Amino acid sequence: MDGKVIFARTEMTDISVLPQRLFTRPHLFQVVAGEAMPRNITLGDGKVTIGRGSDCGMRLLSSDLSRKHATLERTRRGYLLSDLESRNGVFVNEVRIESALLRDGDTIQLGNMQIVYHEGS
Amino acid sequence: MPVLVRFWGVRGSIPTPGRATYRYGGNTACVELDVDGTTLVCDAGTGARELGVELMGRKGPLHVHWFFSHMHWDHIQGFPFFTPVYVPGHRFTIYGTRDGDTRFARLLSGQMRSAYFPVDFSELRGNIEAADLGPTMEREIDGVTVRCFEQHHPGLSYGYAFEKDGVKVVYSTDNEIDMMLRDPEQPLRDPGALRDVPADLVDFCRDAALLICDAQYRDEDYPMRVGWGHPRATTTVDLAIRAGVKQLALFHHDPMHSDEEVEELVAACRARAEAHGSDLFIFAAREGFTLRADLPHRPG
Repeated sequence: MDGKVIFARTEMTDISVLPQRLFTRPHLFQVVAGEAMPRNITLGDGKVTIGRGSDCGMRLLSSDLSRKHATLERTRRGYLLSDLESRNGVFVNEVRIESALLRDGDTIQLGNMQIVYHEGS
Repeated sequence: MPVLVRFWGVRGSIPTPGRATYRYGGNTACVELDVDGTTLVCDAGTGARELGVELMGRKGPLHVHWFFSHMHWDHIQGFPFFTPVYVPGHRFTIYGTRDGDTRFARLLSGQMRSAYFPVDFSELRGNIEAADLGPTMEREIDGVTVRCFEQHHPGLSYGYAFEKDGVKVVYSTDNEIDMMLRDPEQPLRDPGALRDVPADLVDFCRDAALLICDAQYRDEDYPMRVGWGHPRATTTVDLAIRAGVKQLALFHHDPMHSDEEVEELVAACRARAEAHGSDLFIFAAREGFTLRADLPHRPG
């Protein structure tokens, strides 16, 4: 050995085969209080109904929830959470809302359920 | 009877986009009231652009009743970017205050001269008309009683109360209430004491389901900004307490305040209301929030 450090060659293509999921985090609802917690719900595109009814796309089993309590819709401005004239209302960071564009870290209260919204990347 | 209040812009003075203001929003003043399908809009700050996008998606010809606190930039800059005014068939009534007062409509057109903006006001294809609130600055619009109140701001500003079937919403921004106190030294001498807000302002806000009110400064900010036209947030709380308001939306957030600082201000204001034994509910106005003013604001 003459003291030289020899580096192994690395092909650029090695980087491109890294799985995409290492770079992205999904948008999440994290249920932190109420029935069925702890639980993470991955949010998708489109519009989903939230409630205790069996026909809801996001079914949450809590007696305080209306059958169809709220909707969650992905819009160009972010996720829009809307009350469906529920009996106990929808609260975001303690404010009773008719609808709200969600932001990372928002705490949502639906009946006795508390959910934290985590914005993905 | 639903009274919907939508916040399209809540920031004061200048738009502040960016991460520090992401949660509450960086667009300047624009608030929409939807009372049984009647569209009433307060101010046309940069938030009005997104309101225009939303209104373009609604069915049928629009009739927007527009009220202005005053004509400073942060309350009018969104108007040239408000798409519906370019579309034939939509109608916009720009209200002045007293009889014959058409200056808001005239001043709005002034910012659309070629030196400032590429499209001239005369090229707008919507039907834009000027109106006023009559000699008593009070008028009924589709069953909504609208009242106007003169405020303390450089060049003057106006607050508005909207009321239908006993549900009242007050929009009062750019009002340096601290300059209207009977004893302006009281907040320095005894910061915790309930401040002596003028009775006519208290009456104007009396029993509002929702008061949307300028709350730009923290107590420690205010002494360096006396005369700039905005109050201590704590003085706004005292106004709401004295008037028996149910919900107070802190509005016209300081452009220097981050989301965390806005939340610290809310906490300080809530502590003040609690110290005075009030059950007033206080929150920070936030872009993208729609409230129903006619519903109770607490769970259960």
